[in-house]
Amino acid sequence: MKIYQYLLAPALLVVISSAAFASSPRSQIVDFYRQQAGEDFSAERGKQLFSTRHDGGKPETPSCTTCHTSSPKNTGKTRVGKPIAPMAVSRNADRYTDLKKVEKWFRRNCRSVLGRECSPREKGDFLTFMINQ
Amino acid sequence: MLGKTGRITNPEPAGKILVWDLPTRLFHWSLVLATSSAAITGFLAPEWWLNIHVWSGYIIIALVVFRIIWGFAGSPCSRFASFLFSPAQTISHLRSLLNRKPGHFTGHNPAGAIMIFALLAILAAIGISGLVTLGGQENQGPFAGFTSFAAGHTARELHEILATTLLFMIAGHLIGVFIESCLLRENLVRSMFTGMKTAYGNPKDLASHPQSSILAAIIVIILLLAGATTIWALGRIPASGIIAMPANSTYSSECGDCHSAFHPSLLPAASWRQIMTSLDDHFGEDASLDQQTASKIASFLDHYSAEHWDTEAANNLRHISAQNPLIITASPYWQHRHSNISDDVFKQKNVGSKSNCDACHADAQTGLFADQMIKIAPVQINQKP
Ligand code: HEC
Ligand code: HEC
Ligand code: HEC
Repeated sequence: MKIYQYLLAPALLVVISSAAFASSPRSQIVDFYRQQAGEDFSAERGKQLFSTRHDGGKPETPSCTTCHTSSPKNTGKTRVGKPIAPMAVSRNADRYTDLKKVEKWFRRNCRSVLGRECSPREKGDFLTFMINQ
Repeated sequence: MLGKTGRITNPEPAGKILVWDLPTRLFHWSLVLATSSAAITGFLAPEWWLNIHVWSGYIIIALVVFRIIWGFAGSPCSRFASFLFSPAQTISHLRSLLNRKPGHFTGHNPAGAIMIFALLAILAAIGISGLVTLGGQENQGPFAGFTSFAAGHTARELHEILATTLLFMIAGHLIGVFIESCLLRENLVRSMFTGMKTAYGNPKDLASHPQSSILAAIIVIILLLAGATTIWALGRIPASGIIAMPANSTYSSECGDCHSAFHPSLLPAASWRQIMTSLDDHFGEDASLDQQTASKIASFLDHYSAEHWDTEAANNLRHISAQNPLIITASPYWQHRHSNISDDVFKQKNVGSKSNCDACHADAQTGLFADQMIKIAPVQINQKP
């Protein structure tokens, strides 16, 4: 009886917390991309996508950092001068919680910066990087 | 002997007497101040001084109204009747001036009289044309409710011509006072402060017995109160040319992520249509939207484009640049109005770009772009390296 109790408590904790985790809109979005990509994501690759200067996109926007600044924790700025709230989840809890919004901006910003849409793996990498920030 | 008009037939100096009553003197110097303030703010000061200009104008109009009433009810030398001269009298006075032997007039002489009537008339005309300009061009003031931009534009041209004419007339008035002071060896400027002038013949204070002055004061107060009330009431009529536009959250959020959503009145419908069909290559960025959202925004912009407004901004920005028909800031009017602002100002941290209208125009979201709402520190703006 006592042994069961000791085993049950942590097991319950895991179940509850993973349920809470799974139900958060942000992790649903990550899962959505994971299903499409069929592989695990890497924050390191996400960081590279974020900070590399890419060719192939529009000359005005060679990198994600053009607008989001070199640190995801900083407030960014559009080309017109409007502030962009930090991309790091630690600084901005509202980030990556609306799939439609995330999809819209990945579509736009990847086309602007890379000249093409980002793959599900790239999107997942990027989000993983930002969630860890 | 002293005629009813204050004209002297016996040219013997007989000491100083009070000629200009206190209200007339106060009127004169208040008018000098208000006109100077209106002229300085109108000709020299930047746009955001418009309120001071307009208030100077209201004060001038009130003073002119007062002077007209005082012209019937003031003391003898202030009354119009005392300086209504026949053409023959005027010509003979002008001739005597040429001979440098002008006749003596205790009050106004015929040349001065013409100037006074002309000044009062032109000041009234400037005031009225100013209010029509304010109503038509700026959608402000008592006439905003029923003055088109085009009418305001015409009034503005008239206002400017009259104001320039006024400057010449003021110069003429000053020269006249100077010549007259020299020829008569009497400081007429000081007279307008003290009210005292040399009398000829039978000395008798001409200013100390303002007949019916209480009645005049009552009429003046009633008229000014009625005028102020009317102006206030008219000012509450919604400005014509500003249409009711319900807030559109789709537009302001979707088109407000990278820059503040531009007021739809800032571009003609054709330009908006082109913008909405080329969002995937939007000024060097991809701003694409899903079809449904895009068409919702497109119809909103179509409905409230520049053609539908009669504001200063819409009327002027409707004329787009031929090379860059999608860029508000490339239009000839925009370029012209912002030509004094150096590129450094637009790059300034708190501005960022020409397209950031809100940084300098507190009312950019209303599409009005009122002169008084230009808010960035003028010092920064007027520096052109
Ligand atoms: C031209 C400026 C610009 C560039 C370059 C840019 N972004 Fe963005 N990004 C924005 C703006 C503006 C927003 C929306 C504003 C906001 O959400 O605060 C945004 C939002 C996003 C979002 C959605 C955030 C959310 O809360 O859902 C993602 C994801 C994103 N960007 C990814 C990227 C990636 C990846 C790159 C590089 C490939 C990039 N951005 C480059 C301007 C830019
Ligand atoms: C992804 C970012 C982004 C989004 C979203 C966006 N714009 Fe823009 N827009 C820009 C940039 C960048 C410029 C160029 C500004 C500059 O050159 O200073 C611009 C310029 C403009 C201009 C010309 C401004 C000028 O300087 O005269 C108009 C008009 C305009 N946008 C309309 C829209 C409309 C309508 C929408 C919504 C459908 C929209 N924009 C959404 C980024 C964006
Ligand atoms: C750096 C500040 C700044 C920015 C940014 C700016 N303006 Fe202006 N704007 C001014 C100033 C200053 C004036 C008055 C110029 C003058 O008359 O000397 C002005 C005048 C105007 C006027 C005429 C107003 C009137 O009543 O005479 C309009 C309309 C206008 N701006 C529209 C715009 C629009 C639209 C934008 C954005 C696309 C914009 N401005 C961006 C500073 C700015």
